[in-house]
Amino acid sequence: MTTHGGLEPVFCTVVPPHVLDRLARSDDPALSGPARRTLVRDSELRSRRRVTSEFRLAAAPAAKAPSDQPLRTVYDAGHGTDLPGTKVRGEGEDPGQDATVNRAYAGLGATFEHFLKAYGRHSIDGDGLPLDATVHYDQDYNNAFWNGEQMVFGDGDGEIFVDFTSSIDVIGHELTHGVTQYTANLTYYGQPGALNESMSDVFGALIKQYTLSQTAAEADWLIGAELLAPSVTGQALRSMKAPGTAYDDDVLGKDPQPATMDDYVRTGRDNGGVHINSGIPNHAFYLAATALGGFAWEKAGQIWYDVLTGGELTEKAFFTDFAKLTVKAARERFGDGGEEFQAVEKAWERVGVRIL
Amino acid sequence: MRIHVRRTGGFAGIERAAEVDTSGRPDAHEWHALAEKAVAAGRGTPPVGVPDGFSYRLTVDGTTVYCSDPRLTEEQRKLISKVLREGA
Repeated sequence: MTTHGGLEPVFCTVVPPHVLDRLARSDDPALSGPARRTLVRDSELRSRRRVTSEFRLAAAPAAKAPSDQPLRTVYDAGHGTDLPGTKVRGEGEDPGQDATVNRAYAGLGATFEHFLKAYGRHSIDGDGLPLDATVHYDQDYNNAFWNGEQMVFGDGDGEIFVDFTSSIDVIGHELTHGVTQYTANLTYYGQPGALNESMSDVFGALIKQYTLSQTAAEADWLIGAELLAPSVTGQALRSMKAPGTAYDDDVLGKDPQPATMDDYVRTGRDNGGVHINSGIPNHAFYLAATALGGFAWEKAGQIWYDVLTGGELTEKAFFTDFAKLTVKAARERFGDGGEEFQAVEKAWERVGVRIL
Repeated sequence: MRIHVRRTGGFAGIERAAEVDTSGRPDAHEWHALAEKAVAAGRGTPPVGVPDGFSYRLTVDGTTVYCSDPRLTEEQRKLISKVLREGA
């Protein structure tokens, strides 16, 4: 058991304790590892969750209204790995020479604006949290991540990936990990982990659509379309419209995402396939949004947002739990007789997620 | 010494793996020193890590350990990038 620093988001148990016990004794470390850690940390997590929810309840009526303006800071890691690095642009400062810094700054702003204008949310914690991002992390680094406190972007190696600030939906994706951490806090493993990933793809895509004023019919529903280097055979990293078709390349291999539960991938890798099985809830969102038409953030996005932030979605939710809550949220928000809940119900049915 | 690195996860969720066999290499000594330190700081089970962070599995002559971004030691970071760059 290592020490988990304050930077790390809260992870919690996905499965009942008796199953965890069995998993913890498994020979496959991909199974036993998370299970053991979960068992050990369970009580610690429980108390932290309690503190979080009390804070949430207390904060809503009492706190002074947070600003409608973001508070952004972009740092440069100078190709090293120390975080956050050197401050290169603060809120309200003019753009500099570095396009990566400017893209990160603009992406933070677009994400802040989308959550505020579409859902009345002030920053990722709903309370005006400053938005920090570090660019030029490590050398030729083919990744971007959320470390529990801030976003981190690599430059890509130029052969497979270009600069990770190139796609605005990637910036939105990382920040949405922050929103999830402050709300449902979906455990980053297995089905709840795939839901966590899907939330980031959904709102990442919506941030791009909002910025471009695209309707559901006009949008490409691709994640990371600007990220692939020219030599790569593919359109993007993921497709919400047609999971499994984003790329098929000599070096990268083929997009492994399933679109429906028939092709659900059971694996211990990638935290239990969080970037793989997210294709299923991603596609459900796409189906609901395109069935409803118009701007996707107004109806489908609102329903998903209501579930993510509504307090009923548990940290260990499975697809079916999430699906059930979206139908409930659609009825509550848009009425019992509306097309909304029917579109949502139909979307889950088509991807094979049963609503019990 | 055989040093195998497997990387999973990351924003793209694309897996990469590579191996270096140090036998006969002029810099074998450096590889061994680096690998021993990297393994010593590893964990027996995979850490969950951070959202979109890379997860690594290091196998050195049959001993397997795990580590995750961004909490790697300098030796782990160096070994991983060397193996993924130079390994087959």
